[in-house]
Amino acid sequence: MLSFLRRNQVLFSAFLSVLLSLYIIAPAAKGQHRADPIGPLLIAVMRPLQSGIQASFLGIRGFFMNYAALRGVANENERLKARVRELEGEKSRLLEEEATNKRLRELMEFRSEWAPKSMTASVIANSASTYFHTLIIDKGKKDGVEKGMAVISALGVVGQVVSTSSRNAKVLLVTDAHSGVDAMGQRTRARGIVSGSLESGTVMKYVKRSEDVKEGDRLVTSGLDGVFPKGLMIGTVSKVNKKNLGLFQYIEVSLAVDPGRVEEVLVVRGPAPEIKD
Amino acid sequence: MKVSLLFLAVGFVLLLLQTTLPRIVPMGPFVPDLALVLCVYLGLNHPTIGAVVGTFLLGYSVDVFSSNILGLNAFALSLVFITAYLSSRAIWVHSPLLSASVVFLASWVKGGSLMLLWATFLTMDRYGLGSVKYILVDALLAAVLAPALFALLKRGQNYLERVKMPEEIK
Repeated sequence: MLSFLRRNQVLFSAFLSVLLSLYIIAPAAKGQHRADPIGPLLIAVMRPLQSGIQASFLGIRGFFMNYAALRGVANENERLKARVRELEGEKSRLLEEEATNKRLRELMEFRSEWAPKSMTASVIANSASTYFHTLIIDKGKKDGVEKGMAVISALGVVGQVVSTSSRNAKVLLVTDAHSGVDAMGQRTRARGIVSGSLESGTVMKYVKRSEDVKEGDRLVTSGLDGVFPKGLMIGTVSKVNKKNLGLFQYIEVSLAVDPGRVEEVLVVRGPAPEIKD
Repeated sequence: MKVSLLFLAVGFVLLLLQTTLPRIVPMGPFVPDLALVLCVYLGLNHPTIGAVVGTFLLGYSVDVFSSNILGLNAFALSLVFITAYLSSRAIWVHSPLLSASVVFLASWVKGGSLMLLWATFLTMDRYGLGSVKYILVDALLAAVLAPALFALLKRGQNYLERVKMPEEIK
């Protein structure tokens, strides 16, 4: 018996790890979450490295993009070329800073206008899997971020905080198949739930077939989920299909924000305020 | 020991790349599954208890960075390891094409097991035939990357296995 176990120890230990995984997953079936002792530590270790890699790559990319744009000055002498290269580096840095400043200024204006209690956060990492759409932001419990808080940008809905550590938080994006935002059409007030889907991008579900929804209709948050402020832009209807049998119509949504590419976000603290039109 | 440390370091680097690459080179919703390629490699070429633990930790780490439910990727990657380990008894992966094929199939195992878990623990309505597209593209991406990553890992493993520890020389 012992020799059999020893011969197959790898297989047994692998099965044990499968069982351990199921043990960790099990509370999710009841809507509960198990405490995660390793996650915050891992994120804390990875965070500076991720920021470093990202910053270096953006610097290199900026340099080469500007270099490509300036190839037309090939007839200039060597001294000027050297000077141009020097300036390219400087320019790419300044352009990057200017773009960041512009984004932050817009975010600040948006914030001071209607959500003064919200805080800005930078995105430091993306999801590590095709099947999940999440972001890691650089604000956590120490900054007052709590599970369930809405995460938005000046353009619209981004997602919702699903877990926090002392200095970071994980945001479930609106494009994830497990997310849900209570939404309504701005034109007809038709209500539904906007959620991600592995089938066809982002969709609006549970909209009655009798409701009048057309392509191009703007979708905004209804505020009824108690998470997102009422009237915040979600996106526009890109496809409507009523042909399938069933109670509801099938609606595809083109989001106002590409949550996977957003760099700065606002985390809304306290009760969700209402957006004025 | 040295080889295990190598794989630990490689796992860390691959996780780092997997979490930062999508921001640098946007590929829509798709993320190259480097962790999966490493798990398949471990199952085929370095099946030890350390590799099992490493696979579990790698899956758990992927969960930390992506999933809102912990354990999903740990489960899927552990299954991938078992599949690769069992197939290593039947096949000898010696060519880039074969390594790409094994990783392609392993990616289906991973995608399938995730869908199964979602259907069991969460809701079924979000996962229909359209989800197959995701698994397919994810599998193709991983398969394309597999030969290069396998070659690098093999080279590192061979190098470290040739270098003897001092006590081994005695």
